[in-house]
Amino acid sequence: MKDGLDLRHDVQDAQLVDRRHENIGRCDALLLELRENAPPRIAAMLIGGPARSERIGRWMTALRRLVPGHTRAPEGGVSRIPFAAVRSIGNTIELDVLRDDLPSEHLEQWLARNVICRIPGAESKKESKS
Amino acid sequence: MKKWGEIGLGVVTSIGGFLEVGSIATSVQGGANFGFRLAWALALGTICLAILMEMTGRLAAVSGRSYVDLLREHMGIRFFIIPLVAVIVPSFLVLVSEIGGVAIGLQMATGIAFRWWAIPIALVGWALLWRGTFSLVEQGTALLGLVSIVFLVGALKLHPQWSAVGAGLLPTAPSHDGAKYWYLAVSILGASISPYLYLFYSAGALEDDWNIEYLAVNRVTAGVGNLFGGGLALMVLVCAAVVFLPRHIEVDAYEQIALVLATPLGRTGFALFLITLCITCFGATVEISLSGAYLFAQGFGWPWSENLRPSQDSRFATTYSLLILLASVPIAFGADPLKLTNISMVLSAASLPVTVIPLLALMNDRRVMTSHANGWLGNTALVLISLLALVLFVAAIPLQILGGG
Repeated sequence: MKDGLDLRHDVQDAQLVDRRHENIGRCDALLLELRENAPPRIAAMLIGGPARSERIGRWMTALRRLVPGHTRAPEGGVSRIPFAAVRSIGNTIELDVLRDDLPSEHLEQWLARNVICRIPGAESKKESKS
Repeated sequence: MKKWGEIGLGVVTSIGGFLEVGSIATSVQGGANFGFRLAWALALGTICLAILMEMTGRLAAVSGRSYVDLLREHMGIRFFIIPLVAVIVPSFLVLVSEIGGVAIGLQMATGIAFRWWAIPIALVGWALLWRGTFSLVEQGTALLGLVSIVFLVGALKLHPQWSAVGAGLLPTAPSHDGAKYWYLAVSILGASISPYLYLFYSAGALEDDWNIEYLAVNRVTAGVGNLFGGGLALMVLVCAAVVFLPRHIEVDAYEQIALVLATPLGRTGFALFLITLCITCFGATVEISLSGAYLFAQGFGWPWSENLRPSQDSRFATTYSLLILLASVPIAFGADPLKLTNISMVLSAASLPVTVIPLLALMNDRRVMTSHANGWLGNTALVLISLLALVLFVAAIPLQILGGG
């Protein structure tokens, strides 16, 4: 029965993971590419706060602008991943990328570097799950 | 064999996790004002919570995903933002109240004003989250929380008229103070059916690596655990009814609440009350902080697990750290813990529809639940809980204004 992708059900808002199966956010928006003499196709997935805010509404985008430091993130903190990078679609969507390379991971990396790792015990916790 | 051990542990966790600042305070106020007549609200709340926990647990065991994760994926970000705000705001206030509960317990034990305890409590809780694993956080506090069985001992020693307690399990219209009666009924329901509890439970199922073989464990944990937990809360109400109602004492401070055990059990009872208050509220403090972090991490797709090193899930670790530390601030400034508790229970009740109603769609989605989707019985129960949630949504805040304070 399943001979195609239901974009809204299977792709939009889905949990995305990288090559190592680590969580890298959700599919916050989909970009369509309009081509001449050919049907439109999905060009890319967007991950990151700004892409998400636009879908929520203008008030959220306005609210977001009030947060300091949002401009410092590379690419405005949005990862734009070509749809060709999709490796598999199931419970999660696996993408052929690495977490550390993504602009949308800017906050995660910044917090890890400047806050979390400066607190004793951030690296040494117990038996690790993975 | 291993399964039975897990069932035992799960049941103990639910019992130990049931009582906290909200259920203690609202049960005591219910008993003090209306004797055993509000026992039905406690029973109803317990049944609803058990059903919601069974379903969110089943959802996680079958799909390998948490309720929040599925909520975001199926409803989309535009909808998800509503439960996100509707859960985090009351949960934060409940968190403040829990820290207040521990602080009041320590004030009564030491004589040092509660506001000085707020930040130390938050730091100890934070250290546990920072260093501990999921099972330590969940089971450690719950095992210690079993001390709350003392309420059963207290109730037995007070020799209540058990037939009257039984009669209270059936709802009756109040003979006096209608607004206050319904306000307390809503507070008791809000304290029992806390969104943070079932969101925590569904995330916990994944932390413990549940799969489809755990459906029986899930059913027993949610059912039996909550039955005993709700039973203990009922004992709190019974103690309060016997101690306060004949003396016409209006409970408006936690210091008075200690009488529910000091009357039947003397100095030991007083001490055990303080220990129970501190332990159960502390347990809830760490669970709510974690629950809030799960909510954000799963909703936005961040890496998350209490079993990871904080450096591996820095946004998740930052979220629980901020929640627990910020929640200590109002208490440190001297906010009244009992007033806060009452307000947060009512807000919590009002927030229920946005997390209860979407569950109806997910539990019937066979792409998610395969052959373990809800049957007619489960759906009927969930529809009834959704209706109750809508009634609470409409009535909670007006009743707070009319009957509270």
